[in-house]
Amino acid sequence: MVERLLDSMISGPSAKRFYTLFALALITACSSREVIVDGSFPTPLVDPVPVSLGVVFTPEFREHQLVDDATGRGEVSWSVSTGVAQVQFWSTLLPAFFQNVVFIESYDDLETYDVDAVFVPEIADVQYAIPLYTNVKVYEIWMRYRLRLVEPEQLKDNDKKTLSLDNMQPFAEWPLTAYGKTPTAFMQSDSDAVNLAAVMALRDAGAHFITSFGRVPGVMGWLENPEESQ
Amino acid sequence: MLGGCVTASVDEMTFDAPTAGMRDGSLVVLGRRHAPDYDTEPDFIDCIGGHISRGSESIYVIPEQQFVDSLYPWFEPRTAPLSIESVGRLMVLPTVAGKLQELNVSYMVWIDGRTQETNSSGSMTCGVGPTGAGCFGFGTWGTESEYEATIWNFADGAEVGKMSALTSGQSYMPAVVVPIPIIAPVQDTACESLGTQLLQYFSAGS
Repeated sequence: MVERLLDSMISGPSAKRFYTLFALALITACSSREVIVDGSFPTPLVDPVPVSLGVVFTPEFREHQLVDDATGRGEVSWSVSTGVAQVQFWSTLLPAFFQNVVFIESYDDLETYDVDAVFVPEIADVQYAIPLYTNVKVYEIWMRYRLRLVEPEQLKDNDKKTLSLDNMQPFAEWPLTAYGKTPTAFMQSDSDAVNLAAVMALRDAGAHFITSFGRVPGVMGWLENPEESQ
Repeated sequence: MLGGCVTASVDEMTFDAPTAGMRDGSLVVLGRRHAPDYDTEPDFIDCIGGHISRGSESIYVIPEQQFVDSLYPWFEPRTAPLSIESVGRLMVLPTVAGKLQELNVSYMVWIDGRTQETNSSGSMTCGVGPTGAGCFGFGTWGTESEYEATIWNFADGAEVGKMSALTSGQSYMPAVVVPIPIIAPVQDTACESLGTQLLQYFSAGS
């Protein structure tokens, strides 16, 4: 049997089949899983907060990626890119939650648009868990944000005529946590399940943001008089 | 595919069934997703909704995802009302009250539960060679489904019933070259049992 197996590895069409199967098994066992989070996000059903808000998505936010290199642990490595989905999600949520929203990309935008404050979201941490690690048949994603509201003037570098986040002093800064999970399902791959858990985590972030925004210290006073300097 | 045996038990405690039928309103079947270690499976919720829709043309069941999306973020795991009294707090929001009126929701059915494997034993060996592939051995595993449905009447603002279904079964997989799965349709039986009970409740009077 072993001899026939070795023979098949050396020559003939079955050798190609064997090598292909072996290579595929090896690739599956050792390769990393890459997930680019993709989903559709509903527009929230809310009465808009009567303020005019600028929004800055930093390059780190737009390109956020969770990388877990598990080669040292002998496990599959994971890369979960959430940046595109983050921008898509917050770009759907914010214009529905606030009366007027402008996406700020440059110094000129800050000069052009008259906004009450600028919102700067930052992803502080993202973690994941799959059934292999937890023995619970759910895939999980945790997200922790650092959210900031800042006066527009503080983002202007008037000397260089650029948009700068270096010296900003937010009048409101708060953490926001979000959690998403999805159960194991027949014929569902690990990658699909992690994607779905990430989409659920983003939805949870929106639910948490909407239900807690008015109670954030610094925000309450601002909402009473948004046009007055903080 | 062959089927294994399943045992099922259903409990029901309901009152105030819709005596005029469901012609004037719609219902939505939703899964509970706030437990830390499990989620009520979305496909089980679809199965229950489909069972009720197919059973009576006069009952319109709003698909779960459509309902949750149209009322986002008020029916997410973090925000979903856990009692009919909490719905009153949601109805204070004009946009939510308006949307529920637009959807014409008369009843809301919450399903909480899961299907899980209870035990497994046996062993199977499979091999691949240049002349072919094959398996030899025997495996068996048990599966249990436990679901509870809670019915809320929107018009009366009251909980009007609870139903539960508990099903279990044993699946087998003997293999002599080719594995032959004999699967016990445990979750399907739970869906049929609970779906039939709900259908009877909502069809009362029609």
